[in-house]
Amino acid sequence: MEMSSLGGIPYYILEFGDELVYFSPYTVSLFLLALVFTMFAVMAKPERQVDIAFGGDAYYAKETSLQELRFRRFMAIACGFASMGAMLTGDIFNFTLFISLVGICNVGIVAAVKNRHVQNAAYQYGIVALSATVPLFGAAALIAATTGTLSMVELWSSATPAVPLVVKALLVLGVMGEGMAPFYAAKAEMFRAPGAPYVIMCSLSSLLIFLRVIEVVLVI
Amino acid sequence: MIGYLLFAVVFGLLLLGIHRKVIARIQRRPGPPVWQEILHMLKFSFKSTWIPATASNILFVGVVLVAIGIWSAALFVLLAGGSILIIFGIYMLHKIVEHGFGLSSGSPYGKFGGVRSVISAASEIPLFVSVAVVALYTQSLEISSIVQYQAIHGPLLFIVPLAAIAMYIVILSKMPFGPFSIVESKELVSGYKTEHFGVWRAGLEICNGLKTYVLMFMFITVFIGGIPIWWMLAGMILLTVSLSFACAFSPMLSPFDSVTVQMLITGVMLGYAAVLGVIA
Repeated sequence: MEMSSLGGIPYYILEFGDELVYFSPYTVSLFLLALVFTMFAVMAKPERQVDIAFGGDAYYAKETSLQELRFRRFMAIACGFASMGAMLTGDIFNFTLFISLVGICNVGIVAAVKNRHVQNAAYQYGIVALSATVPLFGAAALIAATTGTLSMVELWSSATPAVPLVVKALLVLGVMGEGMAPFYAAKAEMFRAPGAPYVIMCSLSSLLIFLRVIEVVLVI
Repeated sequence: MIGYLLFAVVFGLLLLGIHRKVIARIQRRPGPPVWQEILHMLKFSFKSTWIPATASNILFVGVVLVAIGIWSAALFVLLAGGSILIIFGIYMLHKIVEHGFGLSSGSPYGKFGGVRSVISAASEIPLFVSVAVVALYTQSLEISSIVQYQAIHGPLLFIVPLAAIAMYIVILSKMPFGPFSIVESKELVSGYKTEHFGVWRAGLEICNGLKTYVLMFMFITVFIGGIPIWWMLAGMILLTVSLSFACAFSPMLSPFDSVTVQMLITGVMLGYAAVLGVIA
């Protein structure tokens, strides 16, 4: 399959030796979405989540303290930058670095909330994200070992040996582990955390890295 | 192009109106007129608008613009014969938009609508399998190439019927009043869109119109091929009516059942794609 028939004809490939930044309609679309939601994280104040008090008919609005807000906003912005990097890079090692940074930032966004249930969810997510770094970086190392390059454009060309299927599976497994945040939605604990612009960054970054890894696996 | 965009919004809303009408007639109710959704959009455009006191203001408004923006982009990618992978990405990102709608208001109803939107992410995987199967046969994800392939080999609907069924189920999961419509079920008032009213709701209606038009157009283009616009519009109406029958005859599942059924469908589709991959 042609590289241009996956995410559209590349507009521009910016090369720094073996490393490169890769602008195609697909990667640029994903990059722009990461940029827009990062801007939301920069500018938007967190909502005041309305909750019901047990044992009565009272309700109250949760407030986010300034200290917590600053830390989570910082983490959300860092997560946005990492996502933008992961969308544009054309180098497998940089891709895995950005993905692991997304995982770390997602843990930070959730772990800053001073609530036992939310912190439990963050702890479990952290363990999954940490474990996922093994297949993630392992896949990058195996790609370098089997093909001699980490450049996606070179990997696509028929001149380099094919990447083994099991290595592609390891890469996907690593990305799935780092982007586990949306699956924690099912636990609901994460959503006890107020701060929509930051919580959304968890889901968005995870979704974006899933979308990018599909293209990466098809390209290499 | 602006004219076509407006046409797509109006026709998409008309399809949603037909959907409501068909369901009502099956249930022996008169139902609203077919242009009811267009009237809704116009009505909300001129109603008083404000932002709830508990909301995250910029996000509350921003997601409406993002919703319209991504589906407008999807329409242009579709018309330009661009990559189906971009439309797939936009479809998945719609989850984030729903999530943003729900969480930004601070309302518990919106929040649970948003949470349900994320937990039903399993419904997107059959779309990926469907795209993968199409790519396996056509060796391209460019819509123009897929259309060319069908001009030579005939509609993909007959070549890979299970992939077409998978995409049909994906579209079904996005239709209102369907078995998988857990994000806006009645126990959550209107789910993720509960707190968006006035011009924000009008924006959401525009997004729904565009989304319906793009999904129907994509289904016909990918599985039947390039056909004249009048046939395309007639095909979209037929597809809507078939979806309305599916919605009217099936109960809305509980969130747990909805996700379980979607996971089962995903498993079957992954098996199908694996078998096709081995044969190819």
